[in-house]
Amino acid sequence: MVVAAGGSASRKKGHKRERGTTLFVFLCVLPALVFLAIFLYYPIVETFRISQVKTTGLSEEVFVGLDNYRKLFADEEFLAGLRHVFSWAFWSIVIQLPLSFFIAFGLTYYSNRMSNTLRAIFYLANILPSAITAMLGKMVFAPNYGILVTIGKVLGWKWLASADFLGNPKFAFWSVFVIATWAYAGFYIIYFMARMEQIPRDLREAAELDGASALRYAWSIVLPDLSYAIRICAVLCTVGSLKLFDLPYLMTTGGPGYATVTLGITLYRHGFINWNYGKAAAIGVVIFVLSLVFTIIQFTIGKGKDA
Amino acid sequence: MGEVNTMAVKPDRPRSIQGTRRRHRPAEIIVTVVLSILALFVIFPFVIPFLFAAKTQLEFAYHPWAWPKSFQVKNFIDAWKAVRIDKGLINTLIVCIGSIVCTIPPAALSGYVFARYRSRFTEILFYLILIGYFIPVQMVLVPLYKMEVATHINDTLYGLFLPMAAFGIPFWTLIYRSFFKSLPNELAEAARIDGAGHWSVLFRIMFPLAQPATVLAVLLVFIGAWNDYLLSLVLLTDQNNFTMQLRVASFLNAYGTDRMPRYAAAAIISAAPTVILYIIGHRGIIKGTLAGAIKE
Repeated sequence: MVVAAGGSASRKKGHKRERGTTLFVFLCVLPALVFLAIFLYYPIVETFRISQVKTTGLSEEVFVGLDNYRKLFADEEFLAGLRHVFSWAFWSIVIQLPLSFFIAFGLTYYSNRMSNTLRAIFYLANILPSAITAMLGKMVFAPNYGILVTIGKVLGWKWLASADFLGNPKFAFWSVFVIATWAYAGFYIIYFMARMEQIPRDLREAAELDGASALRYAWSIVLPDLSYAIRICAVLCTVGSLKLFDLPYLMTTGGPGYATVTLGITLYRHGFINWNYGKAAAIGVVIFVLSLVFTIIQFTIGKGKDA
Repeated sequence: MGEVNTMAVKPDRPRSIQGTRRRHRPAEIIVTVVLSILALFVIFPFVIPFLFAAKTQLEFAYHPWAWPKSFQVKNFIDAWKAVRIDKGLINTLIVCIGSIVCTIPPAALSGYVFARYRSRFTEILFYLILIGYFIPVQMVLVPLYKMEVATHINDTLYGLFLPMAAFGIPFWTLIYRSFFKSLPNELAEAARIDGAGHWSVLFRIMFPLAQPATVLAVLLVFIGAWNDYLLSLVLLTDQNNFTMQLRVASFLNAYGTDRMPRYAAAAIISAAPTVILYIIGHRGIIKGTLAGAIKE
């Protein structure tokens, strides 16, 4: 069955060789499979089972069926987390992607000696540990010593000088969002740039001969050409908002109230602070189902690629 | 569809929409200036911790944003002692090295097989591993923790880097697969005709050729393990085992802003390795990251 790619030579050597090949293939794939079986496949199956029991880890497990899910959908914190998946995804798509598109276009269209350095700088925040990103976010938005408050003091703007961005439910979500944009937009920028660099040069030359401005060229040629990349990034935004944990947890621990709660934070709180495994596993299943849906959307989008 | 891009491993494509060399036009200058200002906004937060870490506590309390009078090296020493940074660095390094050792060889082996020994059987295995690429870590946290408690490997460093490796293997299998696919077949074929077995082809020819991919993998797995927060938070409970990120994060909870200069100093130390690695290898890192982006 197993044949070395392009190797008609090995096919001729008969059965002994073939059995050796099968063994080789098996041994090569084995370590990866063992890792995944223990730390991924088994836990996946377990998640579904635990999501249907009531247990604290110490107490006996009691089968409760879909009770955990029923409780979840009556749980305000969970519902807030679920809402935030969608609002976070929406605003990421509406704000981060166009911003990244313009930066990427500017860097590619007017490529010069600065471009590579600038690209490296825009991606820099992306590789920072999230604990540090969150800390920097706090230094920007904190009351008393935060930089925005300090600017307010210097300019004599009372509303800014006394603002508590992270403690005010109206602003907390947006404060975290700004820091997330700072940290994550770099990826979309480098991805868009890589795609833009693949657009054939003739197209640009033809557009310039026709007297098209940079904006016109961006709108009529680059944007349609990148439609697939943009859709992929939209899916990444959505999946990212589903997995969001570090930044809101470290900046606001989900508060004030439930203003910045995410599904990840709810899961962590139910599972590892309240030790309610059943409920936490149920949230895990919800995250899984949603990411499955988003992934299927991604595959469908991929098939519909026309360019 | 669902393939992983091989951008990482192919030579640079010609920069096609960039301008040919010509005089700088006003529009270009304006755009470059605007982008440079934006880039300054991106860089600026990196300066903040240095501004804070250089000050005494008193100086920070009165003039947090003023230029520091002198550079307080003492903050770094105090921070080092207060959160046991030495212990944190060692723990994090162990996690990073463990993660590299457990992620890359299995991924390289399976990636090689999926690239060069294609059959229905390996296709099925490939999709089995691909599943892992789409599973969010959050989904398996609870059973993972339960399992680690049951087998008494929770709150150990290998209990952290083993699952970390498992979550990384699918991605790196994809990368190695596309890398090995892009290699010419002639060398391996010639060696095989000379009687080299599967293993010697793999270890003598293919793995040395895969060096660029391996360098990338080492870099990115290291950065990923160094930066991890969620898994460490869940799996480690003993302060002694805390990694750098956990130490830095718990520092603020413990002291609030009372010890901001020290805290900033700790943050600088904990971010330095990834930032320095990025400055040295940003070309490769960006390429490698793009290789993970889903391709048409």
